[in-house]
Order: sequence, then structure tokens, then C-alpha cells
Amino acid sequence: MELQLGLDLPTIHDDHHNHHDSIECCELWSRGIGFSSSESNKKHVRKKRSFEDYAFGQCSLNKTTLPLLVWSGHPNEEEEDDSNNGNIHRRNIHLSNKNEGEENHLVGWPPIKSWRKKELNHHHQYPTIIRNNNRMMQATNHENQNRSEETNSLYVKVNMEGVTVGRKIDLMLYNSYQTLTHTLITMFAKYQNFEEDGASYKLTFQNEQGDWLLAGHVPWQSFIGTVRRLAILRNEK
Amino acid sequence: MKKAAYSFPEEVLEHVFSFIVSDKDRSSISLVCKSWYEIERWCRRKVFVGNCYAVSPPILIKRFPELRSVTLKGKPHFADFNLVPEGWGGFACPWIRAMAGAYPWLEEIRLKRMVVSDESLEIIAKSFRNFKVLVLSSCEGFTTEGLAAIAANCRNLRELDLRESEVEDLSGRWLSDFPDSYTSLESLNISCLGNEVNLLALERLVSRCPNLKTLRLNRAVPLDRLPNLLRGAPQLAELGTGAYTSEMRPDVFSNLAEAFAGCKQLKTLSGFWDVLPSYLPAVNPICSQLISLNLSYATVQSPDLIKLVSLCEKLQKLWVLDYIEDDGLEVLAASCKDLRELRVFPSDPFGLEPNVALTEQGLVSVSEGCPKLQSVLYFCRQMSNAALNTIARNRPNLTRFRLCIIEPRSPDYLTLQPLDDGFGAIVEHCKDLRRLSLSGLLTDRVFEYIGTYGKKLEMLSVAFAGDSDLGLHHVLSGCDNLRKLEIRDCPFGDKALLANAAKLETMRSLWMSSCSVSFGACKVLGQKMPRLNVEVMDESGPPDSRPESSPVEKLYVYRTVAGPRLDMPGFVWTMDDDSALRIS
Repeated sequence: MELQLGLDLPTIHDDHHNHHDSIECCELWSRGIGFSSSESNKKHVRKKRSFEDYAFGQCSLNKTTLPLLVWSGHPNEEEEDDSNNGNIHRRNIHLSNKNEGEENHLVGWPPIKSWRKKELNHHHQYPTIIRNNNRMMQATNHENQNRSEETNSLYVKVNMEGVTVGRKIDLMLYNSYQTLTHTLITMFAKYQNFEEDGASYKLTFQNEQGDWLLAGHVPWQSFIGTVRRLAILRNEK
Repeated sequence: MKKAAYSFPEEVLEHVFSFIVSDKDRSSISLVCKSWYEIERWCRRKVFVGNCYAVSPPILIKRFPELRSVTLKGKPHFADFNLVPEGWGGFACPWIRAMAGAYPWLEEIRLKRMVVSDESLEIIAKSFRNFKVLVLSSCEGFTTEGLAAIAANCRNLRELDLRESEVEDLSGRWLSDFPDSYTSLESLNISCLGNEVNLLALERLVSRCPNLKTLRLNRAVPLDRLPNLLRGAPQLAELGTGAYTSEMRPDVFSNLAEAFAGCKQLKTLSGFWDVLPSYLPAVNPICSQLISLNLSYATVQSPDLIKLVSLCEKLQKLWVLDYIEDDGLEVLAASCKDLRELRVFPSDPFGLEPNVALTEQGLVSVSEGCPKLQSVLYFCRQMSNAALNTIARNRPNLTRFRLCIIEPRSPDYLTLQPLDDGFGAIVEHCKDLRRLSLSGLLTDRVFEYIGTYGKKLEMLSVAFAGDSDLGLHHVLSGCDNLRKLEIRDCPFGDKALLANAAKLETMRSLWMSSCSVSFGACKVLGQKMPRLNVEVMDESGPPDSRPESSPVEKLYVYRTVAGPRLDMPGFVWTMDDDSALRIS
């Protein structure tokens, strides 16, 4: 039949299997915002690899980092929520038909029906429980308790090369480059440039002094202290 | 060769066929020979259309001229999670119009995930003299005005069930439109309505319908009205309460408890919005007879849940929030040996930290303690291969297993390995598994397991998993009974899809969003497979304004005998034979 494209089916025990797959993987992902290992700049191999690992879902790093799920409301219309610092906004996730919005979260994840989400919203606005055990004291909403006392939001603009519309994200919702990168990949995946040769991208940031630097080389906390803007640039070859 | 003459006249065959009710069996009968096909189609009374676009009203009506019951499903399942944009389709109107003309004796209409207008409801109300059952499940597009038409005109209505639909609630007045002479109501589910219905009308309706078995109220019905309602319907078998909160007054409590005690047939409870824990024990008199309990709106803590659940020794189905925690599930496992179905929903799905002590251990306990457990939906924040292995070995009788680890791509929290082996154990041991939803960190290996062992699997949901096309290929080539496959955010692309194109004709549908399927591949698929509708959804513009290799946003492929649909909105394109893009 014409449609059989001779799919190669290496078995699990095939030594070439993993290599084969990861090459395929690179090709697929490098069409978009994936970070191609074949183009890795030797100088920055380490950091690049961690971005790739994320893109290919092979990240097996310590999961004490913040969960990937970034639930943040529309930063441009920050909701006034008296009981917290506005880090977590409870809203129904709606995929808008208009130009992309303000989603810096995963649409439709976790997979909960919208009316159930509405119920949760309703509950979190009018909380009726007081938890009282040795695990966690939560007097009001289950908002981001650990962070609300110490931190405010840190919204920075993110622009991707070749994309006119920029986004804004709250960096206080992340505590590592992995989580940040993952969100950015998700956010900008639809703006992929469709080059035949595949493109890889790097994350850069502008610091307090106005200099543009490659992200990932300073510890996260220092990064947070100095970052003002983010830009996703295509790698020159 | 002499043609075999049937010694039975048609009427006898018809009579025999009337005992065959399952759709599959009916289908099989109709394939035996031409005359059986003919007899069968004239006496078929009930039809289930799993995808309203797989067939068209004229085709249905032509084949089955004497239907009494029609079930239609519209949007893909992922529409429940807002992945299908507004206006996508699933319009009930053409169907209802056509059926109004063709089936004057139609009695039952059941719609799921369809867009239903008030006009359609009015047509139903006026066209079917013996109309008995209207079920609108996860539907939208209508208002309480449409309901008023149903109430006013359907003299023989037995069931009105609006479960999980989005209704524009203009006023609660519609309920009063049931005439005083109307007494045939057996089942009423208005739990999705936002506004208060006319409570007096409700009470009168309930008390004059002696066959009322199911009553699911909406949140707006206050707790202190519940005892009256219950006294008016002591024969109730299924009750959904309204808001379960009130000022704490002893007389309200005792009134309520007494009213519950009077409902000797009550087996199913749901509702419990805004529940005040101290009112929960009001249901204690009937706990020992409960078989189904939906506490998924009850925001009470584990101790209160435990007190309730431990009394329900006959419980078969429990839906609950994760407030129940591991401790509560352990009590459940010890108390409810007849449990068949467990669903644990997250109380704080978007929180960044766990807010409850619910882990994989809770599910393991239930799998150990409940020998009849078949169906699981479980949201949690950590899982291990070891736990999944244990669950699989404990419960090889699982038929539905849906696990949602809230953070995408979470590995085994103990070993930091992918969860391939755990899910592999599930498919290997649970030989009758029909439905599976995956989550966590997963490589192509899990799909190899699924393709190898998931022979009875009918529906698979995948998100943020896999490494390459091989994963998709394993599933499409291995799962012999696969009917529905829905995938989001996986690196699956053209190769597996095109290599398994023929498989798609054996399935109801395939959904792929945020994957790596190129526009070019979609075109090829659409051109080569005329009996598939290959629909590309892209809200950022026509896919042909970008290179062929660019991935499509969303792909929905389904088999059909009705050809490409004509009601697509601007962001949906069909890839069909004439290879020019048709935008309707």
C-alpha cells in the first residue's frame, strides 16, 4: 500500500534504538522551538542539553523544583485578590478564538471539566474549611502559601525572535531554568518558524544594567534578582 | 442451488430480533443476509451514533425508518477540557428537524456534547406526541425558555436530564410550565442550572409524580426545603441535594434526618454543595443502603468523610475529592468491599504544592481491599512504578484505569525513572482493560507495552508522553480493539500516522493536538482515505499559508459515510480528495 513509508521498527533491545529515536526526535522537535543537539555549541553543551532533555521529556532531575504547571492569570489584568498576593489566579481556562491570549498556562490540563473547575473556583473564593492537622495549616484558600508571604510577582516581558506579539510571565512562579524553559516552550510552540533546516533557539535576558546575556549560567536566585526582560533568539549558525 | 426458504415468516424473525438489544448484536444480525438486513432495519427501534458526523440524518432515516430512540454524540471528548474551540460543530438542529419529520413516534433523544438551541427544543416539544426521554449531557446552546417548551408540551415526558450542560438560566419559572395534570415524571436532573427554580412548583411537581425515582436538584435549592421534597417522594431511589448548608439549627437537622430515614429506596446520593460537616450525619439512616455516593463537591475533610463512608457497606461507586486522603481511602478499602468504581478529584488542581495527604498509597489500599474494583479515575501528585505494579497485580479485573498525575512528565518519585513499567504492568495484568488514560513521565516503551498487551483497549488518552513516532505506531498497530485515541502534546508525527492510515478506518476517531503532524501529511491522509474526514483546526490562520512541513495545531480524524461536513467554522479545514482546501 502506498502509504507504508517503511517505518523502521527497532526493538527495545536494539542498541541503535535509543540513538535512532533521539535523532528522529531531534528532527521533529527542531522544526519548532526544540533545541537541537546536532547544533549544540560546545561551549554551552551542558545547559543546552538540559533544555533538550526537557523538550524530549527525558528530564529525570530532582523534582523538588516547582511543578511545571504554571497557573497564572492574565498579567495585564491582574485580578485583585485580597487574600493573597495575586500569584495564583483562579480562573476558568478558556481557549480563546482570538489571537492568543494571555495563556501562560497549559490549556486543558489537568483534565478537569469546566463546570467542575467553576465549582472549585467558587469554593476557593468562599472557603469554608479550616484545616487543622500536623501537615499544613491553611486558613483560607489553597493559594501558594509558601510564597505569598515572601515574594511578590515578577512579571517580565518575553519576546521571541520573529514573533510580533510578546508575552509576559511571572518569574516568581518558577524556581529553576527547567521549569521556566518548559513553560516558554509551551507558550511559544505555536509561533515556530518553519525552516526546512530546523532552527534552535537560545534564551537570553536583559539584566539591570541593560546588558543582554545568555540565560542559564548564573544561579537561579541571582538570575531572578537581576532579570528585567527575556528574549528567545534563534541560533546563528 | 435451491434458494433456502425460510420456514419462519418475517413476523417470527422480527419477534426473535426484538430480544436482541445490543447495538453490536443488531449489527451482526443485519449482516447475515439481505432479508435479515431488511427485517432488522424495519424493526430496529434504538440507535446509537457515537459520532454525529460519521453518518447523516438522511442516511440514518433511510436505513431505519421506525426508530423510537436516538442517541447522538457530537464534540470530541477533549472538548470537556476546553481544547475544542467554540463553534466547532456538533449542532443538533439538523438532526432534530430531520427526525421531527421522519419519526413522529420518537420517544427518546439523548445527546452528548452537542449544541442544542431553544428552537430545537421547541421542535422536540411540538413534534413527538409520545416523547418520553430527553437527556442533554454536556450540551450547550439553550436556555430555560427551551425547557419551558418541553415542560409545557410533553405530556408523556418521563425523563428530563440536563447533566453537566451549560444552560443559560434566564428564569426558574419554566418548571411551573409543567401542567397540573402532568404526573408521569420519573427522572429529573437540573443540577447544572444556576438559578433558583420555583420551589413551590418543584414541591408540587415532585409530590404529584408517584413514579419519580431520580431527583437531582441544583445548588440553589436550599437545604431546609429538602425534607419537604423528600416527604413528597418517599419512593426516591436517587437524590442529588442542593446546597447542603444552613444555619446550624437542631430542628433543621432532625427534620432532615427524619426525611432521609423515610426514603427506604434511596440508593444514590449526590450534590452536597457547600456542605456543612455537622449536617452530614443526617444521611446516616440510609448509609447502609447506599450503592452510589457522589461527594465530589463536598469540601469536607477526611475525618468527616471517613465517618460517612465507613457506614456505607454496600457502596459500589464513590466519587470524592482528594480531601479523603490516604487515610480515608484506607477506611474505604476496609469498609466497602463491594466497591466497583472510585473517582478521586483534585481539590486544588492548580496549586503548586500538594494541599492534602493523598498519594499513590490511597489507591494501592483500595486496590488491595476492594476485590470488585473495576473502574478508577485518580488525580494525585506522585506515583511510582512499584505502586502501579502492585495495583495491577491486586486488581487484574480493572476495566477502566485513568490516572492523572497533576504535573506533566512526573517520573516515578522514588526512582526518578519513567513510569513505563508501571503502566506496562497495568496493561499486562488487566486483560480486560477497555479504557486507559496515561500521565507522568513516559517514553515510547510504555506504548510498546500497550500495543503488546492492550488487546481489549478501546479508548486511550495520552498527554505529554512518548519520544517518537514509534510510540504512536505501537498503539495503532497493536491495539486491535482501539476505537478512540486522543493525544495531546506528544512528539508523534507523520510517519506513524500515514503508516497506519488503514487502522483509522476501524476506529471511531483520532484526536491529536500540539503534536508534530505536518499539514502535508494531513493532506495526504485526506486524499488517500476518502472514508475518513481529516479535519485540521488552526486558529492562527489557514494551514496552507505555511509550509507543508509545518505542524498543525489540532487534528481530528474520524471515519464517516457522510463525506466531509459542511458546517465547519472558519478555523477548521477538511483535507479531502480534491486536494484543494475546502473552507466552508
